[in-house]
Amino acid sequence: MAMTPFNPSRRQLLAMIGQVAGTAAMYQAMTSLGLAQESGYTGPPDLQGPRQGRRVLILGAGIAGMAAAYEMRRAGYEVKILEYQNRQGGRCLTIRGGDRYTEMGGHEISCDFQGDGYFNPGPWRLPVHHRAVFAYCRRLGVPMQPFINKNNKAYLHSAHAFGGQPQRIGHVEKDMRGHVSELLAKSLRQGELDEAVSPEDREKLLEGLKEWGVLDRNYRFSVSDDLGDVRGWDTRPGGGLMPEKSPSQPIDLSPLLQSGLWDQLFNFNGYQFEPPMFEPVGGMDRITDAFAREVADVIQLNARVTRIAQNDNSVTVTYEDGGQGGTVRQESADWCICTIPLSVLVQLDVDCSDAMRKAIAAVPYASAFKVALEFRRRFWEQDDWIMGGISYTDLPLVQIAYPNYGFLSDGPAVLQAAYDTATAGRNFTYSWSSMTPQERIDAALALGRQIHPQYDAEFMSGTSWVWHRVDWSLGCYGQWTEDLRDEHYQTLCEIDNRLVLAGEHCSHIPAWLEGSLLSALDAIRRLDQRENA
Amino acid sequence: MMRRDVMFTCIALTLLASTAQTQEAPATAEGADSLLARFSDDSDHFTQTDGAALYRTTCQACHMEDGQGADGAGAHPPLAGNPKMNSKHFIAGVILTGYHGMPRFGDMMTDEQVAAVTNYVRSHFGNDYADPITPEQVAALRPPDDED
Repeated sequence: MAMTPFNPSRRQLLAMIGQVAGTAAMYQAMTSLGLAQESGYTGPPDLQGPRQGRRVLILGAGIAGMAAAYEMRRAGYEVKILEYQNRQGGRCLTIRGGDRYTEMGGHEISCDFQGDGYFNPGPWRLPVHHRAVFAYCRRLGVPMQPFINKNNKAYLHSAHAFGGQPQRIGHVEKDMRGHVSELLAKSLRQGELDEAVSPEDREKLLEGLKEWGVLDRNYRFSVSDDLGDVRGWDTRPGGGLMPEKSPSQPIDLSPLLQSGLWDQLFNFNGYQFEPPMFEPVGGMDRITDAFAREVADVIQLNARVTRIAQNDNSVTVTYEDGGQGGTVRQESADWCICTIPLSVLVQLDVDCSDAMRKAIAAVPYASAFKVALEFRRRFWEQDDWIMGGISYTDLPLVQIAYPNYGFLSDGPAVLQAAYDTATAGRNFTYSWSSMTPQERIDAALALGRQIHPQYDAEFMSGTSWVWHRVDWSLGCYGQWTEDLRDEHYQTLCEIDNRLVLAGEHCSHIPAWLEGSLLSALDAIRRLDQRENA
Repeated sequence: MMRRDVMFTCIALTLLASTAQTQEAPATAEGADSLLARFSDDSDHFTQTDGAALYRTTCQACHMEDGQGADGAGAHPPLAGNPKMNSKHFIAGVILTGYHGMPRFGDMMTDEQVAAVTNYVRSHFGNDYADPITPEQVAALRPPDDED
């Protein structure tokens, strides 16, 4: 039998590294492979500018298109943006009371929120290492507030565990840490790890495990006042003659493992979600509004692009002025930066290489949806002591996110009551996307009341967003796989004669604003170099 | 397209108390049960087996209740009266591996399920093709390196 050399795919390789060396090592390896990079932002693009008058036509007034226009105009290029919608901002948007949107299929989405709560259907939180986003927010004066991604008081929930009773995130985390510390200490003390750990390290490790897991002097994870100080109390310490404090009871290891709640805890593990996270004060559209303040005078709204023609010297874009069926017009320019999502671009008539056409056609667009509900009062704060953060569940609503603003206020407030994307591999998002706007609200209520029974008494109104029913994106974001990236990514990002593509789909950070910005900055740098070559 | 309906906001404010009480009452328990049955019992694989139920919980999102699709800046193509429906292999292949912006469903559906959806869309919305696809034929269409 011939020996077959083992040539693992990148996915197999990463899975092996993850199994053997843990997720941190896998993440490091992913970074080496360019899959999970730190932001590549190094500062504002240092553009030389054109040697003579040069016109750049930009398609799409999302963050990539507006950032490109902003920087290129500063460098001396003449810029113009064509935008299909009657608004700028692209997938970065915020829905508030009074907003209306007709989605594909003719269903009307209404938002009748009566308080000052709002809903971000697309991007909604910013990790600090997304340096380009933060740099532009600083430059353009967008105030930020903390976004609480992990709140130890929020819930982890399974319909099939603990009688359907949600458990606090902090309890699950500390109990897992305690049980694992106890097991590890046991192995160490029985000499089972002597080959891996020197006697000196063994003592240090045991000492640390005692603190870290809150183990007693016999290295057991058990109820004590020390544990109360870490895990919390059944009867909290009080004042005066209030009842004596009593520590809370940890959950046993086996039911915890079988509940699946430990797995839900990993939702907070990713580097993208490391605390602290931030959000713009007042809604995500404050970021794109800030860009629009800089470039609104070069944006033409209601322009539906139908054709991108180019030759060696110029590019000519045909569009319907006033939307579908509008007056057909043309714009010519020296360069074109196209930020139209690939799902839409593939349906347009575009002059480009066969390889780029194949790349444009290759990338599926991920399913994603959200439902937001307004309630009469902040029962999650008032009854459950959940001040911001996210609860996770194995119900199809997947997660409930609490507002990180307006704490303690009376009156209505808005929950992001259901959200998932195809990234996690669950199929629920397709089913939500197939529902009418009213059905989505009904489903979010029927599921959510299993975690928060106050839903029924406090519900006011709801709204939702389904990215596959948005005609200008036909899905949420480019759903790259490693194989697709190997085959098409380079081509997709290269300048094709007078045309270059930009947007989250041309980045290693799909779906995030940072990916869009970095893609735009890289595209204009390369155009500027080509111009000055 | 989004518009801030100023007139509506004014009306809503004057009717604030009453609209808050009346709009979008939660679904009855019965209605909710049939709605929640639209979700798969398993988040990794669809558990529905018949073509109509599978269509309703996946394809319908884009191709709509009546199979007419929808358009705007870009379009979700209609399944009704679409000449591409002529080939059962093409339709099953699209469901398995995706097509342009459409995601793949091959790793979330069995060969039987892909066959059921294919046969459903080719026999509804005014389509009346007489050559159903079998699960075995679907299996033969799966890409050889389909690990999932």
